[in-house]
Amino acid sequence: MAWSRLWAARAASYMRISVPSRGFSSVVKTLKYAESHEWAKVDGNLATIGITDHAQDHLGDVVYVELPDVGVAVTQGNSFGAVESVKATSDINSPVSGKVIEVNEELNSSPGLVNASPFEKGWVVKVEMNGKDDELNKLMDSDEYSKFCEEEDAKH
Amino acid sequence: MWDPTISQSRLDFDCKFVMNQYTALGNLAWLKMLRKVFSFHQISLVVLVGMRVQRCLEVWKMGIINYLDALKLQEKLVSARKVHKIPDTLLSLQHPPTYTLGKRRTDHNLLISQSDLERIGAELHYTQRGGDITFHGPHQAILYPIISLRDIGLGARYYVEKLELTMIELASLYGVKACAGQTGETGVWVGERKIGAIGIRISYAVTSHGLAFNIDPDLNYFKHIVPCGITDKEVTSLRRETNVVLPAEEVIQEQLILCFARLFGYTSVSWKEGTPLVTSEGKFDEV
Repeated sequence: MAWSRLWAARAASYMRISVPSRGFSSVVKTLKYAESHEWAKVDGNLATIGITDHAQDHLGDVVYVELPDVGVAVTQGNSFGAVESVKATSDINSPVSGKVIEVNEELNSSPGLVNASPFEKGWVVKVEMNGKDDELNKLMDSDEYSKFCEEEDAKH
Repeated sequence: MWDPTISQSRLDFDCKFVMNQYTALGNLAWLKMLRKVFSFHQISLVVLVGMRVQRCLEVWKMGIINYLDALKLQEKLVSARKVHKIPDTLLSLQHPPTYTLGKRRTDHNLLISQSDLERIGAELHYTQRGGDITFHGPHQAILYPIISLRDIGLGARYYVEKLELTMIELASLYGVKACAGQTGETGVWVGERKIGAIGIRISYAVTSHGLAFNIDPDLNYFKHIVPCGITDKEVTSLRRETNVVLPAEEVIQEQLILCFARLFGYTSVSWKEGTPLVTSEGKFDEV
């Protein structure tokens, strides 16, 4: 859509011109990121999943988190739960495929943890991945994700 | 093409859009930064190209539609929009008397029984949208935008703010000073009285459900619920809040649509009547 602005943003960043920013979301270097703004922390075949600082900032105050049941299967790119903020429910999509082995029950009583601590206390589920290595290659690293967020924010 | 019969509101909208094109890149500071590096001609090319980027909105004026039918239609439109088979689409309609609940299923805010609901001729539906319990009925203008937030880089918060502004702007056309709610009270208020409600679902960055603006619905229906879960606050309507003689509802609904289109930066609006038919290949007109 606004590709000319996108081009301008890329040109500016290539020329290392500092661009008026819309605010600065934090990104954690060791995580993998999906285009739908979820993060995955991979440890062996276990992945902890949550939503990013950029996502929580764009959502507003989270008042409710719909968690999946333990044991439910998830597939990469598909929805497994939702968050509600400002009268909007937004799906949470899984960055990896596997089976849910733990959910963050604390979010039932303290949904605001998603805003306050999106990469740590606000984690949503833990998934036992079902062994497709190339799935992780489809995710972005922290630098790619930061650029992705900048380009998205430049659209408006 | 010369059209002396063009309506005032359409004329106003079109002219504001042309003006907005010049600031469509949003940000003079941007252009100044780039001008330090690129020549005037290069910048002009970027501006010209930017101006030509079209954002189209397809509006369907649907009349009074049963809630479940509208819900099923929205699901099909969301799936089609997600894979770019259709452009951003806006459904403009009204519902027969209907109570709806959001994802959190706050049915403790429904104050009447199922049998009483039937007796007053109302339906009840559970939905996946955000927000609490609300009422929809005749003379309440509803907009269901099915748009891709990813294409415009918006998140839920700014999307909802723009929906609030849409209703605030419409109210101002009739001299009514409305404002957005406090934190946790999303919606549009005139003082302590609620005139517009919002409840959204966002799936794969595509929106469904939307906003409901009270033109002149029967406010007695709201007595059977705790509207939006907020006690001690009244519900109101445009009819109640303004001394201006209201034009036909269709005019007010069209103004609401134009406010939406302008606030969301659409460069063109196409108007259709009836119910869109969504097939696996694309979308066709159907009256």
